[in-house]
Amino acid sequence: MKLGVFVSDFKLTADTLDRLKADNLGIILVLNGIYHATTKENGKASSLLDKTSNLYALSEDIQIRGMKDSDVDKRVKVVNYGDVVDLIFNEFDKVAWL
Amino acid sequence: MGDVKLAIIVQKPQYKGETSRLGITHAISYQTVEILLADGDTVTPKLCFMGEGVLGIQKGQNAMDLYGITSTETHVKNTLLVDLDVLVCKEDLAKYGIPEDAMPDAEDMGADKKIQVVPFSEIQKAIDESKHVLFF
Amino acid sequence: MGNLTIGCFPGLVGNMTYDFALKLAEAAANKGHKVNIWFSGNASGSVKAKQKHLKDYSTGEKYLKALIEKGVEVCACEACSNARGIDKTNAIEGVQWNAMHWYLAKIHASDRVLHIGGE
Repeated sequence: MKLGVFVSDFKLTADTLDRLKADNLGIILVLNGIYHATTKENGKASSLLDKTSNLYALSEDIQIRGMKDSDVDKRVKVVNYGDVVDLIFNEFDKVAWL
Repeated sequence: MGDVKLAIIVQKPQYKGETSRLGITHAISYQTVEILLADGDTVTPKLCFMGEGVLGIQKGQNAMDLYGITSTETHVKNTLLVDLDVLVCKEDLAKYGIPEDAMPDAEDMGADKKIQVVPFSEIQKAIDESKHVLFF
Repeated sequence: MGNLTIGCFPGLVGNMTYDFALKLAEAAANKGHKVNIWFSGNASGSVKAKQKHLKDYSTGEKYLKALIEKGVEVCACEACSNARGIDKTNAIEGVQWNAMHWYLAKIHASDRVLHIGGE
């Protein structure tokens, strides 16, 4: 199963995401979820970034929060809404919003 | 097109927002979707409760007297009456100290189905086997 | 091109999750995909007409009208809307009204479904 998961919060969705299994897991960080890509806690990057190599963060949600694409962890690809549409249709069998 | 399987996952507790209740009622609506589909086409949901979603489904609820709303317990009984498969995560019930026999049933109302308390792996299987997954 | 159904449950004003759902729908429609949006729960309140676009308050009306003109099907849960005092007489033109099985029927026909749950 190729599963794309939208993460829109910084803290609350971690438990469910920890349990989901997929042959190919993608994580799309949107809204406050982008903080997983930009913000460290006590100097440590979010553990969510270790879950898969298919990591994406929405550019509009990064910029609205006063950050730049260059603030994003190198493992995360910055995408726009059009790219997100392409991911939904081309990269995953199904998508989930946590 | 035939049958489309859905995994409807309730992972939020009830009685604050209406999200959890809407997960249940949307699952129940599989009963009437055929009026909008071509002959022979169906939608078959599996309704799954996991995480904090297992918190508000136990029996003995008193929502009607206290708030004038249908209880989640009643909604869950209705799911059994319409022959939905309802899965509740065994590990999460144990995590929150909720005994399995606290789950409601609708046998006295004529339901054939019962709530299935299952390991999370069965909920994962429902997700794998469905065409779409909806987290409430 | 594909068929995308978005279930949108978060409320309108003060909730950027709602904004995200509409922007995603617009992006998909611009790429030529068929898009359906189902409003239930607090999102069903967003179909009321005559919304004022005040500064710092997001509005659905202008956006929704533009999406409908692009061919996006927008349907509100009639029960959820009526509970909030909204019906066909005071709603945005072009919005459809139905029960939950509309959402399931659109899901049946869709290649992808993004269900964006409520609060």
